[in-house]
Amino acid sequence: MRGLYPIFKRELFSFFVTPLAWVLMTSFLLFQGAHFFVILMHYANSGELSVDGGPVQGFFGGTILLYLPLLLMCPLLTMRTFAEERKSGTIEALLTAPVTPAGVVLGKYLATLAVYVITWIPTGLYLVALSRFGEVDVRIVATSYAAILLVGAGYISIGTMTSALTTNQLTAAVVASVALLFLFLLALGEFVFDPGILRDVCSHVSVWSMMSDFSRGLVDSRRLVFYTSLVVLPLFITVRTVESWRWG
Amino acid sequence: MIEVTKLSKFYGDFQAVRELSFGVAKGEVVGFLGPNGAGKSTTLRIIAGFLGATSGDVRVAGHSVVDEPLLARESIGYMPETSPLYTEMRVVEYLSFRAELKGVGRGARKASVARALRDAGLEDRERSVIAQLSKGYRQRVGLADALVANPPLLLLDEPTAGLDPNQIREVRALIQRLSADHTILVSTHILSEVEAMCTRGLVIAQGKLVAEGTIDELRDLRRSRAVRIRVRGDVKNQLGKVRRIEGVAGVEPGDRDRGIVITFSSPEEGDRVTEAVVAALVAQGLGVLEVAPVVPSLEQVFSDLTSKSVEPDASRAEANA
Repeated sequence: MRGLYPIFKRELFSFFVTPLAWVLMTSFLLFQGAHFFVILMHYANSGELSVDGGPVQGFFGGTILLYLPLLLMCPLLTMRTFAEERKSGTIEALLTAPVTPAGVVLGKYLATLAVYVITWIPTGLYLVALSRFGEVDVRIVATSYAAILLVGAGYISIGTMTSALTTNQLTAAVVASVALLFLFLLALGEFVFDPGILRDVCSHVSVWSMMSDFSRGLVDSRRLVFYTSLVVLPLFITVRTVESWRWG
Repeated sequence: MIEVTKLSKFYGDFQAVRELSFGVAKGEVVGFLGPNGAGKSTTLRIIAGFLGATSGDVRVAGHSVVDEPLLARESIGYMPETSPLYTEMRVVEYLSFRAELKGVGRGARKASVARALRDAGLEDRERSVIAQLSKGYRQRVGLADALVANPPLLLLDEPTAGLDPNQIREVRALIQRLSADHTILVSTHILSEVEAMCTRGLVIAQGKLVAEGTIDELRDLRRSRAVRIRVRGDVKNQLGKVRRIEGVAGVEPGDRDRGIVITFSSPEEGDRVTEAVVAALVAQGLGVLEVAPVVPSLEQVFSDLTSKSVEPDASRAEANA
């Protein structure tokens, strides 16, 4: 794991001195702000509230607007990770330092994940605002954010992998987006297939039903397993890819 | 410090390095010389641990670059040919990051960076953003990066490429200064550069070691095999007489002026033959205005060496044809 911490710090630094992270964060927060506003207006006008149907659940699990932007945002955050270093040649300086491939990959991965987390932090203000007018269930907020972290961790892992597989940032972003879209659409299988193994698989992969479960405080360990493997497997492939460059 | 044994590297079907073996002892400054595309960068990248060899063994400071990569890399300060840098960082930030990456502790880091900045002549640019630096300064940042963890071995890939004459002189002086307490392997395609900086030279061409020796031995490779003499008076009548002098292989009229070009039968005879020819011309009452050695170009030297040792059959075939 040598090199993890310095690489983590440098990547984080590099995100915030280049415009990309700021542009992404601003657009994302504008989008989520509008989303939250629409949800609030909806509940303000409907007048009837059930126990697990308040604006918090509505925001986190009621619509796909919460995670739809992630299909684009995560690949845009990760596309530079390796593709840019290989294109500009800086990867040569990086890999001839006494670092391990796992340290390099994890340092970069965790830095991107940190930017993702930082992007979400301001949305906590919505809940602060809500709590002034009513009660916000902290446990539901916690499981919802845990789900958001899990989804992001998986998506960023996939994006990191596609960035290592090509030297072109745009290709990396497009391939990652398509892969995420495929995962997302797989969830539709839940409504298409008859009850059986295929439908079960689709429902477990579904980010949709995951968010709706977690936003009601339901933590299903099968989803944890799926998303953990979605983090580990692409990262493992990335480490192997970095090792393989020596033999190119 | 470096032991390379039967190193080979294929890129697909193309063999960039062929069974290369050489060693660099502690304290040496070795020039790694060859025309473009000879395999210099590939070899340095393999030693630095960026590329894997197809076959053969490379040890740095006693550690195999494959089995103990971190230990091997810790003793190396490597400066890649293109000086790839993170252009959004400031010079001092970049060097501090590199020092940390190379395991320089928090307490020692500031001093290490300051020393590298001083050695590379970057003190006045430490707050500059790398993107705004000129090529020469970026090259220095690459050099400072190689120096920052104070490794015993420096691998410098064409450190003077793309610099102006003043900068080249500075880099050469720096390398000479560093040679006091570093082992250095520096690649270049300029022979005079090796003569100026190094204690020993390795010449490679087409991935093969074609010559190896001290600077004097390398200088011999370039020793002139002919001399051009410009005279006042009509030299045409004297050609036959000159041709009969022992050690003269050929006499031709020079291209532009009234001079003649005399080829030696062996380069070692050069001085004696030149003297004899000049004496003979003067004895005939001709005024000698200019005597200039005809130095073979480096391409000539490389191609001579290459045809001699890499593919003898091919060169013979060419000679027959």
